[in-house]
Amino acid sequence: MLPMRPELLKGHLDALLLAVLEPGPQHGYAVIESLRSGSDGALDLPTGTVYPALHRLERAGLIASDWQTVGGRRRRAYHLTQAGHIALSEQRALWDQFSTAVTALLKRRTWPATT
Amino acid sequence: MASDDLATSTGTRPNDPLAAYLSDLAVQLPGPRHRRDAILTELRDGLEQATQDRIATGLPPSQAAAAAINQFGSPHAVADAFAGELTTAYARRTIAWFIATGPLVGIWWLLLLHPSPWRTGLIALVAAIPVIPLIIAAIATASGTLATTGRLMRWLPETGPRRALSATITIAMLCMIIDLTMITMIMVSGTPPRPLMIIASAASLTRIVCSITTVRHTGLMRMVQIDHEVQR
Repeated sequence: MLPMRPELLKGHLDALLLAVLEPGPQHGYAVIESLRSGSDGALDLPTGTVYPALHRLERAGLIASDWQTVGGRRRRAYHLTQAGHIALSEQRALWDQFSTAVTALLKRRTWPATT
Repeated sequence: MASDDLATSTGTRPNDPLAAYLSDLAVQLPGPRHRRDAILTELRDGLEQATQDRIATGLPPSQAAAAAINQFGSPHAVADAFAGELTTAYARRTIAWFIATGPLVGIWWLLLLHPSPWRTGLIALVAAIPVIPLIIAAIATASGTLATTGRLMRWLPETGPRRALSATITIAMLCMIIDLTMITMIMVSGTPPRPLMIIASAASLTRIVCSITTVRHTGLMRMVQIDHEVQR
């Protein structure tokens, strides 16, 4: 699958990051890899997009981070907060509504002829 | 320098391409040092993980490191991406400093002027300390900026880096006016000098110097931020 341009994700990146972190804590690079593998390569986002977005979500209190030492390296792992779980549920409901409406309009079909 | 600290603290080899990349990035990152160091440490972990993943697929270490660096992007592009967040961090830290200095400076003036609002009422209090409306304006600007660059941005419109810098300049200028007004007021009152007056004036003078430095530094950062936004 061809990679999508980051601009297309405007407004949806927060929800995607929250969804990636839902199963459990992950570090920044693992989040980038999860986005890519979870979308069959369509969401190949640059470092400069993902890390600042994670930090912004942390400032907003939707995720939190812990520093760990793994293999002698300092690693920052992110996890969802309670507010993050709630925000993800809301984003999912909004996306379901949005995608249903857009799919209904975009799918190929024969429109009734006007007389 | 942050880059030197990073190289030594992580035991990096001098010819390590990841260390060279991070050193190059370190000199291009603006903002508070501890935030820059945290970002560099986090990116180092990501780069090393990306390198290891490629080595596991059979690439030689030097090619794996080069591919990882290529994936992360040029130091300039990465520094550019973090500029907004670091600028906001600088603004938040500076505003927090002004909030902290409020009581430290204000207490001496209160002890010197000892207004009694519970006896004389609000109008008398404002007459005794005419800068109260300015203090309220500074507190409101500071609280609003801290809230809309922090937790409350979930519900309120987020304040961008440029506006956060403008708010910082506003708060510094308000503090400068407040301190100048208080010093002028006590000088023209003809009150004989006493220790409390000297302490209060010294506290205000110190904050005036800090405010001037903040206005100049933040003004420069704001110009850079405007250029940055125009280029995007």
